[in-house]
Amino acid sequence: MFNQGGLSLEQAPPISVVMKFFITASIFGLLLGLYLLASSSGLLTYSAYAYKVTITHFLALGVMASFMLGALFQMLPVIAGVVIKMPTKKSMVVHVLLMVGVFLQLFAFNTSISLLYLFSAIILGSALLHATTLMIKELLNVQDHSSSSKGMLLSLGSFTVAIVFGIYLLLTLGGYIKGDAFAQVKEAHYSFALFGWVALLVVSVSFQVVEMFYVTPKYPTIMSKYLVTTIAMLLVLKLIALFTSLPTVGIDLFLALLFIIYGVITLHRLYRRKRPTSDATVWFWRLGMGLLIVSMVITALGTISSIDEGLKMLSYLAFIGFALSIVFAMNYKIIPFLTWFHLSNQGYMEAPMMHDVIHPKKAKIHFYIHVAMLLAWTLFILFNPPMVDVLASLLVVLSFGWLLYHLIFAVRKYNYTQKHTEKMEW
Amino acid sequence: MQKILLDAREMEHPEPLQISLTHLRTMKNDEYLYMINRRKPIPLIEIVKEKEFSYIAHQDSKDIWHILITKNPTCNLEELLDV
Repeated sequence: MFNQGGLSLEQAPPISVVMKFFITASIFGLLLGLYLLASSSGLLTYSAYAYKVTITHFLALGVMASFMLGALFQMLPVIAGVVIKMPTKKSMVVHVLLMVGVFLQLFAFNTSISLLYLFSAIILGSALLHATTLMIKELLNVQDHSSSSKGMLLSLGSFTVAIVFGIYLLLTLGGYIKGDAFAQVKEAHYSFALFGWVALLVVSVSFQVVEMFYVTPKYPTIMSKYLVTTIAMLLVLKLIALFTSLPTVGIDLFLALLFIIYGVITLHRLYRRKRPTSDATVWFWRLGMGLLIVSMVITALGTISSIDEGLKMLSYLAFIGFALSIVFAMNYKIIPFLTWFHLSNQGYMEAPMMHDVIHPKKAKIHFYIHVAMLLAWTLFILFNPPMVDVLASLLVVLSFGWLLYHLIFAVRKYNYTQKHTEKMEW
Repeated sequence: MQKILLDAREMEHPEPLQISLTHLRTMKNDEYLYMINRRKPIPLIEIVKEKEFSYIAHQDSKDIWHILITKNPTCNLEELLDV
């Protein structure tokens, strides 16, 4: 997790920067579960379109963007060696605008009020573009890029494209622009957000953390050197193809194959790790990579033959499962470490050890809840038995509620140590 | 000088940092920490600089890092490097 360049401890952002994003993401996850629960219980009735885009954006922005932006504020100094000046102030602007923007957007999807589309485009667009541009600006100044910092730059670039296209889509839905290219922009928006932003960021981060956290062999040089650039180039090609009405099937197939190879190689690295025991975070990584492979195999199949709606839904579910698994794995590594590290560095001799912040057994329980949640949704998609969607929604609530509880517990432990234990000079 | 050896090559993050900080806190003037690691431990080195310990960080021909840290400013750590 640490750049070979240099990092001054004063340059690392305060723990509150990461915490507020992670807690917000968990609250959004909890709200998503409640929304799903209300929908599956028949308490809410919306159009299929509103339901689909609400869930997608609850997850993509409320949950994933909050987790990933919070993690980036923390990891950019340590992985890429870049310094974001005044991180507390800048992250607060992003955080507040993001929260307001997500709610406005969800209300816009569910009410179709024109003004709400406009406001959400402005507020959400400002929040996200502010975050990506300030990070990209710093990353562009890095002299000697590692595969991780280069991947983060490309991932943030992809996110910026996805945001701009998202603004176009919102303004079209609100009736403010004609939106002649709506279909192409929508396809590009999803591709850049999912393959570019989410998957590319996971790939970039994994090149550093898998080896370091789990003592695995290094990734093959050809992969760490060229994979992120190849994915980014394929996305640009797809964009050109979409706007020149050329077929994109070959590009989608190639992208899916690259992610399958990456998933298999990561699983193999984790299989060859030197420690015999595995904590929950290793299992989250294994599950995440397995689900990425499943999702991409279905995507690849979809490019060469027609597949039914159920299989497509499974592919989406597997991709969501992949992204959440990695996010949960990172949470259970980052939060206990930061809590201990910040307190220890401030001189608190009684700083809680990582196990005391979030015990590995608690993370393991979350892993089981997560697996049960994914199985319940799979069952619902494949066989649609009665009440399974209610159970699956409850498991979403439980999953994010569990994480939220432990994040709050970590904050309380941090504050307690600062208030009630002595600082020592050494 | 008494050597405190910490071979962290097969330790998962952040065990090496936790163990080395524990040693540094209780380190005596005639002791030094000799850490062997796969990566340059940047946060540890930053803490060491901040606390004004003496240190050297050397990467050998097999890309393994040797980090020597002591409280004693008169100690010549280069002489204690084992590569």
